[in-house]
Amino acid sequence: MENKMQVRDLRVSFRTTNGKVQAVRGISFDLAKGETLAIVGESGSGKSVTSKAILGIQAANAITESGEIIYDGKDLLKISEEDFHKIRGDKISMIFQDPMSSLNPIVKIGRQLTEAMILKGKARQKESRIKFKTYLKNLEQRTAEALGSDAAAKSEFSQQCKTFSDFEYKHVHMEGEYNRAKEAAREADGDIELLAFELEKNAAKDVKYRVNNICDNAKISIHEYVVKDEAEQLQKLVSSAKEQIAPVVKGGDAAKLITALRDMQAILKKALALDEPDFFAIGYYLQCTGKELPKLPIPELNEQLAAQMGENFMASFHEKAKKGITHSAALSYESMERAIDALKQARPTFEREKLDKAECTAAVKTLSAAVGETIDPLAIVKDSLSYTFAPGLKAEVARYFDSIGKNVTAQKRYERQKRKHDRLVARGKEPDWKVAEASITDLELVKANVVRLIDRQVQHYEELLAHRGERDYDKETREAIDYLKTNAKGEAARVTQRIAKDRAIKLMEEVGIAEPRKRYNQYPFEFSGGMRQRIVIAIALAANPDILICDEPTTALDVTIQAQILELINKLKAERDLSIIFITHDLGVVANMADRVAVMYAGKIVEYGTAEEIFYDPRHPYTWALLSSMPDLDTKEKLESIPGTPPNMIYPPKGDAFAPRNKYAMAIDFEEQPPMFKVSDTHYAATWLLHPDAPKLERPKIISDRIERMKSKRGENK
Amino acid sequence: MSVNDQDVLLKVEHLSMYFGKGESVLKAVDDVSFDIKKGEVFGLVGESGCGKTTTGRSIIKLYDITSGNVYFKGILIAAGKRGYREAIRAAREEYKASAKTAEDKEKLDRIVAENREKIRIADRAHRNCDKEYAKAQVKAVEEKYAPLLAAAGEAEKAKLLQEYKAEREKAKHERIVTQMQMIFQDPIASLNPRMTVKEIISEGLIIKGEKDKKLIEDKVFEMLELVGLVREHASRYPHEFSGGQRQRIGIARAVIMNPALLIADEPVSALDVSIQAQVINLLNELRERLGLTILFIAHDLSVVKYFSDRIGVMYFGKMVEMADSDELFAHPLHPYTRSLLSAIPLPDPIYEKNRKRIVYNPLAEHDYSVQQPSFREVRPGHFVMCNDAEEEAIRKELEQ
Repeated sequence: MENKMQVRDLRVSFRTTNGKVQAVRGISFDLAKGETLAIVGESGSGKSVTSKAILGIQAANAITESGEIIYDGKDLLKISEEDFHKIRGDKISMIFQDPMSSLNPIVKIGRQLTEAMILKGKARQKESRIKFKTYLKNLEQRTAEALGSDAAAKSEFSQQCKTFSDFEYKHVHMEGEYNRAKEAAREADGDIELLAFELEKNAAKDVKYRVNNICDNAKISIHEYVVKDEAEQLQKLVSSAKEQIAPVVKGGDAAKLITALRDMQAILKKALALDEPDFFAIGYYLQCTGKELPKLPIPELNEQLAAQMGENFMASFHEKAKKGITHSAALSYESMERAIDALKQARPTFEREKLDKAECTAAVKTLSAAVGETIDPLAIVKDSLSYTFAPGLKAEVARYFDSIGKNVTAQKRYERQKRKHDRLVARGKEPDWKVAEASITDLELVKANVVRLIDRQVQHYEELLAHRGERDYDKETREAIDYLKTNAKGEAARVTQRIAKDRAIKLMEEVGIAEPRKRYNQYPFEFSGGMRQRIVIAIALAANPDILICDEPTTALDVTIQAQILELINKLKAERDLSIIFITHDLGVVANMADRVAVMYAGKIVEYGTAEEIFYDPRHPYTWALLSSMPDLDTKEKLESIPGTPPNMIYPPKGDAFAPRNKYAMAIDFEEQPPMFKVSDTHYAATWLLHPDAPKLERPKIISDRIERMKSKRGENK
Repeated sequence: MSVNDQDVLLKVEHLSMYFGKGESVLKAVDDVSFDIKKGEVFGLVGESGCGKTTTGRSIIKLYDITSGNVYFKGILIAAGKRGYREAIRAAREEYKASAKTAEDKEKLDRIVAENREKIRIADRAHRNCDKEYAKAQVKAVEEKYAPLLAAAGEAEKAKLLQEYKAEREKAKHERIVTQMQMIFQDPIASLNPRMTVKEIISEGLIIKGEKDKKLIEDKVFEMLELVGLVREHASRYPHEFSGGQRQRIGIARAVIMNPALLIADEPVSALDVSIQAQVINLLNELRERLGLTILFIAHDLSVVKYFSDRIGVMYFGKMVEMADSDELFAHPLHPYTRSLLSAIPLPDPIYEKNRKRIVYNPLAEHDYSVQQPSFREVRPGHFVMCNDAEEEAIRKELEQ
């Protein structure tokens, strides 16, 4: 599966008056596309700190000591704030724990919901246009190189690119109109169903508004490929329904209104059942032949136009583009081989006892250029490591040379203060201040980091080169064309105030807020806690993000709403192929949502595996404790609470951090930190209990019992 | 309801609490009745905004209730007047529409007088229940000592008189409402950050009139130890504690008043799992040790099931189902309860991924056009909100 995000060896500390709190101590994980990773643990285990580091919204006293967060070819720990604006909230969105503090109290809910949509809408449009044009230009250029001396083919391809760009836009606009009509029809259909049902039960509210809304949508749905033949009839029904509003509102009989609505619904249903025309092909036809569309039923039309486009354009475009992509990949591979040489050559420069500044700067320059060349502009999945190599290297080398001077100053300052302190002590006084340790950067460590960076890049290239033969360029070309299509769509999608409002109201409905139109104009204080949380979720979803971080989103909500919200998140995940990082301590919720689970304790991941592995075969004592401390519906016996509190992270324990609270702790747990032991390919746990020499321990009875019980329960349900 | 009145600690009759006036009235609690027996844990569940917390707060007199009666230890402590006022208004309307004979007038006067009397009683109960209770307590003490004093000789009499005075003074300060205590949902917001733990815990005692500093201190220490904290914590401030410890302070503050009834309003919702378990275990232990009766308000059904003897399910201000907790989970009868139970997440991935949530849509589920529903007992101890047709269906289902 494609990796969306990689977190490597992340360490975050907080500077406090009492010392440095080590909140996150070297955690690493991957997040695949369309996957939910649950991070479980007590408060203070560093879950939220991790998620905030990903979003770049750490507290002012946070220090990121080391690590990488690689997303979309960028290292989020190293990019500028300006670049982060494009990612935060848009690509990576977050649902916060506390709905009170994450909403602006003096701005109406509607404004808060639409603000980002409108702002980001413009930015996205621009970005999509740039992406589309750059990619097409790169494709044209590389293909031209690939075609070599064949001038005719070259000019033909550049003409094709132009045509593609033109009809692509045309198709997007047509499709947009069609989608709007179809969406309106679908919405009207749903609204009618609900309203008619309520009218029959004599329990309808807001009749006037709703009928008007249905009528508006019905009118919008009149479109060449949606409601066409029955357009006139629909118009008539609309006006007759509108006439009926006044009497019904006054308390009259609703039978006529219901009939009118049901008739409308029948027409809409029929329209919704129609096939979708192939706008891509229609766009091409209209653009390139300049003729009227042949009058045919949609399926036949689709077939005929697609065949025509395939023959005249797509086949040749595809073939040529494939050549370009293959050529581009080959170029990239060649430069990779060169880059490997360069990297290997430059390695000793950074291994010397004392680095030479001029030499290193030159090496950084050549290496950055060499690695930069290997980046294939036509690859859809970005080669993250190559993208992040140059800035990473530069930062590390700069840090080395900066630190030399800084270390000296810090040392001098420390000695000066220490002398002063000692003098006072010698005079028999007790100073009420302490001398802070000099903060000295470990130069050797920085050097090792640089070398590791280089080694990893070499290894990465070698891997890529080894898999060279396995690439399917046909598929990649199709993906490239899809990429162009998506970006063209993004360019055409304009977000106006009205669209934003419609979308916001729909989102509010989706997250289960009653009377969204009224609520739209209210302030956050007018909402209850659960309602506020739903608004926060709606805001996070409004941006249509790539990665969604949920920081205990349902902890403050009751079961029914929780179930709704979780269903909503799961639905969106399936629809949009969303990757989710889900932070919670409710294991029931984890079981529902997670594909994989990481259990965190005291800033470290102590166990991770697939949800099934964690729930049916937990290995770490902390996971056991978590699982046995929550009651389920059949629990009768006393709950096993975890004694004590998490350790003070200013002085992290030497051994396993969980040892003092762990009743299965062994002597070694207090002495040495356990490494990650492998249980299966996807399941790892950091506990000495998995060491071959450790005594064999059964997991607690309460967990085994529950697993058995649930098994029989499932058996019944089948 | 068919429970022995001796056992009933709290009796809530037709409790209603409306907010707002006229058109925009919000019926937060609408005609809710239930009893809580001595030593029992009664769970109240429902989604947020369904009136669970309002019910709890109405019982402890944080609100002036709209209508209904609340009896605590057999004493009317809160009563609403809206219903009586409406009865008077209706009688007047009726009189206006009638032929206005002397007979009608007499009937009107009678109804008005009756209801005014009821309003008076309600007012009195609302304002004076504490005083009346104190009076009754004083009277009891007097009655207890009168024969003793009469029988005692000179030498004993002085000692006895002293005892009697002390006890009488204490009885004077007895308040019935202090025998109900509340634990709040948010342990951070419910503790005053400028008071030490000792001040927080002892505040109730001091307000009640306790002046003996030594006794207060001893009691505070006893409470701290009871809830699993140590004496040294007494001089600290709330911010120095973790969430679970703060909730323990909240519990100590409630328990020090030696309450008969504890209203726990989502005491564990804001806590971590491991700490949740600690607090639930603590409450369980206190319940066994002190014989506490608890009204447990929560939305986490697994916790409610684990902790409660009986459970009431609320939906939009109305109680829709009430039964023993095992019975309720085994045979949920009201469609809302079913939907609620189907939404509980359990720690089992395979089960979770196949779980189907039942959606409750009151319009589709019920047909109340013919007859409005009422709260009926369909099985011993199992009450459901339903009308005739539904009751029949439920009975049929239960027979199978």
